[in-house]
Amino acid sequence: MGLRERLGKEWLFCDGGTGSILQKMGLKGGELPETWNLTRPDDIKALNRGYFDAGSNIVNTNTFGANRFKFDNVSKIVTAGVKICQQARREAGREDDAYVAIDVGPTGKLLEPMGDLSFNEAVDVFAEIIKAGYEAGGDVVVIETMSDSYEAKAAVVAAHEVCDLPVIVTMVYDESGKLLTGGGVEGTVAMLEGLKVDAIGINCGFGPKQMLPIAERLVACCSLPIVVNPNAGLPRTENGVTVYDVDPNEFSEIMEDIAKLGVHVMGGCCGTTPDHISTMIRKVKALPFIEPVAKDTTYVTSFADCVKIGRKPVIIGERINPTGKKKLQQALRDNNIDYLLTEALNQEEAGADILDVNVGLPEIDEPVMMENVIMKIQSVTNLPLQIDTTDIEALERGMRIYNGKPMINSVNGKEENIRAVMPLVAKYGGVLVALPLDEGGIPETSDGRIAIAKRLYEAADRYGIPRKDIVIDGLAMTISSDPNSAIATLDTVRRVRDEFNGHSILGVSNISFGLPARELVNSHFLTMAMQNGLSCAIINPCNGPMMASYRSYNALMNLDPNLEGFINAYKDYVTGSSASAGTSKSSSSALSGTVLSLAEAIERGVTGRAAEAMKEALDSGRESLEIIDTDLIPALDRVGKGYEAGTVFLPQLLMSADAAKAAFAVVKEAMADKPRNTKGQVILATVKGDIHDIGKNIVKVMLENYGYDVIDLGKDVPPEVIVDCAIENNISVVGLSALMTTTVASMEETINLLREKKPGTKVVVGGAVMTQEYADKIGADAYAKDAMGTVRYCDSVFGE
Amino acid sequence: MPLEVEIPVKEVQRYMGYHGIVEIEPDMKDKIDKAIDHVSTQSHPRIISKEYPVKINGNDITICAESEELILHSEGLARNLEGCIGAVLLAATIGPACDMLVRRASIRSAAEAYIYQAAGAAAIEAFLDDYNEKLKASFEARGFFLRPRFSPGYGDLSLEHQKDWFRLLDITKQIGIELTDSLLMVPTKSVTAIIGVGYDKKNTGCCSGCAGCNRSASCEFSKERK
Repeated sequence: MGLRERLGKEWLFCDGGTGSILQKMGLKGGELPETWNLTRPDDIKALNRGYFDAGSNIVNTNTFGANRFKFDNVSKIVTAGVKICQQARREAGREDDAYVAIDVGPTGKLLEPMGDLSFNEAVDVFAEIIKAGYEAGGDVVVIETMSDSYEAKAAVVAAHEVCDLPVIVTMVYDESGKLLTGGGVEGTVAMLEGLKVDAIGINCGFGPKQMLPIAERLVACCSLPIVVNPNAGLPRTENGVTVYDVDPNEFSEIMEDIAKLGVHVMGGCCGTTPDHISTMIRKVKALPFIEPVAKDTTYVTSFADCVKIGRKPVIIGERINPTGKKKLQQALRDNNIDYLLTEALNQEEAGADILDVNVGLPEIDEPVMMENVIMKIQSVTNLPLQIDTTDIEALERGMRIYNGKPMINSVNGKEENIRAVMPLVAKYGGVLVALPLDEGGIPETSDGRIAIAKRLYEAADRYGIPRKDIVIDGLAMTISSDPNSAIATLDTVRRVRDEFNGHSILGVSNISFGLPARELVNSHFLTMAMQNGLSCAIINPCNGPMMASYRSYNALMNLDPNLEGFINAYKDYVTGSSASAGTSKSSSSALSGTVLSLAEAIERGVTGRAAEAMKEALDSGRESLEIIDTDLIPALDRVGKGYEAGTVFLPQLLMSADAAKAAFAVVKEAMADKPRNTKGQVILATVKGDIHDIGKNIVKVMLENYGYDVIDLGKDVPPEVIVDCAIENNISVVGLSALMTTTVASMEETINLLREKKPGTKVVVGGAVMTQEYADKIGADAYAKDAMGTVRYCDSVFGE
Repeated sequence: MPLEVEIPVKEVQRYMGYHGIVEIEPDMKDKIDKAIDHVSTQSHPRIISKEYPVKINGNDITICAESEELILHSEGLARNLEGCIGAVLLAATIGPACDMLVRRASIRSAAEAYIYQAAGAAAIEAFLDDYNEKLKASFEARGFFLRPRFSPGYGDLSLEHQKDWFRLLDITKQIGIELTDSLLMVPTKSVTAIIGVGYDKKNTGCCSGCAGCNRSASCEFSKERK
């Protein structure tokens, strides 16, 4: 019988530790255990055989670290590992009931955006291992000891793309139930279930005793078969040697307790031996087997957060969507991702639970933009995202690199659309927004919408998407064109709850399109919808009345424990003012009584006042250029000179720079339609291999304030990217930064490539280890010791 | 698990480049306090350490690990470890949250990003200092004394040795730090170090801290700078 048919139906057992046994056989520190597949196959066979003899059903090949970062012959090593394990199984006479598991461990690298390995490269790395294992005849893929859910996702995607073998994933949590990258048990399980693995579990980290509470949490949230493979206790160092203290008897006793929780596959990890495993099997096999129980909780997750869709409505921030938003459209055209990130942070601070991300604009490459924006947003916020697009390629690329289990907006009742969207959700997992409209258009009544909703649920069944992961859109449409539309929508929302026990969602503000005072209608409609069972509200969380409705509803319905959320938001509320919690950002609180001029505000670094003063100056009829030349730049210069003279410290210079930037933003907005005046265009980049970009960011702010147009290529930028960009934009000055001596080499490489491909380009360098001498040695045109130095250098090149 | 040690404001200010006696404006002070609070509450510090016997021969230091002998060449470290019979190798991090705080701040304000950066640097040092104190107490109870900690990349101890630390301590798996190809650590607020263990109380302070660093004179952050 295949493993897939047995998982969750009967007791199954994994093997135990590898490293400690190989060390006893003579493996040296620093020696890669996987090389033994080629050099000492008999020892590896003895290792595998020990576990087959002990009764393990799932025995791992010796391929844990067999990846391309450590080996240049991955396929050979993996193939040998599988063949050895098969032979051990044959010799143990276990061919009928035991499986050879292609063992896949972490790469040892962190994925982007935290680390330097891209998601798609990680998929490649894992695919190479799994493909070799599959072709050699492995029966199951075991992805284990993962401490980053994102890396686990890459491995699962790889497994599903190269073969149809069952996939088991076990993660390492700490005692608080967290992964090293911050994720928790529930979120990780939701993501892995979405990815359609066959069993989920925990291994390594600590012993069975410490693992018990984590196993309990797993059982509570996981619908799939559960695997538990602990170490033989907590590792301890004795005379420089790692030892584990829990003996086979003690180990087995605790494993019995874990088994009783409703776990389905059990084994061991570091420090456990065939003795541990056989003793455990004897005890556990005598216990009644409890089959996995399907759970009906719906989670949308990011790598760190987990948002529950249920009785308490959740807020989905709608601001990252170019429809009807000119500034956002412009930001997308200019590739000004920071603007989108600012919207993300603002919405998070205003109380959003999930952020909608829609970057569809006819003139941009939506798939590329979607991938980039999701990656960038996930590098600055823990909030889960809703991928919102009608472009199927953009949807797939977004879902693929998304870290967690996203919401997907959307599928509709048209056959063609179902066929395009649902397979993606089946593959990558996600909570899917389903619009009850079809080839016949949008039904006017709730009867029509409920009928399509029913078909959408049935389609989900066909694709293996759980019904709990479907969220039906009630389709809010303006009451100004159809007076019955709110009624139909509210009916639909209520019936989704009552007839399907389902979840619902609304783009709330559509209800008032074409009306004055829209927030009045919107906020009341929101309350009515929540009262009818709305699960998800897509709104602008920065809108006071909307959030007031939301928070009041939660307070009234006992969904806000101790009324904490409500009280925190409105403790300073003044009756009669419009409900605008969280927006009392007074700019000059620290300087009450005095009104600063623009120049003073910049010199003292008071951001809010600088913007205000600039606005006042423009309102008084002064020309923007004149204000910049007579007030802004001289003020900034005074601070800059003070910094150069050592009387002003860098933080103060930066506060002034922030203030000047805020004032510039006001000017930019006022002159949105006029061509901009810049002194010149400069590329800034932190060179390949270097991830410390704070210095480069400071230089960027200063250059922009001094009138330069900066193309910021970011950090860890390969030489070719810098050179191509310089050629494409005909750049005359490139600024490079590097923090460490190890990365100065790639600075030199970049300069050489620039000299070859675009001679005449000036290069200014800076960074912690950089000196004039070093700069000369690597052939830079100039060394800037700080941000002001770069400004002065650019001024000298572009001529004032 | 938040940082359980206090991040000293003075240290944050030093990492921000303030030196001597300075009056910090209330606005700036608020920002520093907020950064310290966020970094403290959102960090998840982790540490891994192992104790090994060492042998010193001239400028060669041999670390006798379970199954390999690691040799380090460094005049500075050899002086630091003079007379030691053992050493603790360690790696520590405050986790990825601080890096995210810096990225978040840098979208809106260069000044705030800079402050978070400084708060993170002070946090990992405070965390290590605290650990160091506990280590010191436990070794002194056994009749041993510790030397000031010394890191790969400091003085003449090559940064290349980061690879040895990562291999011996299994750092990536144990506490989640990645070593990039260019030998930088992610999360960035991470430290690797060696601490000598000897019988005598001799403190070779000259080979540690700012005084022992050849860039001390030009460094913005030097403790020696007035």
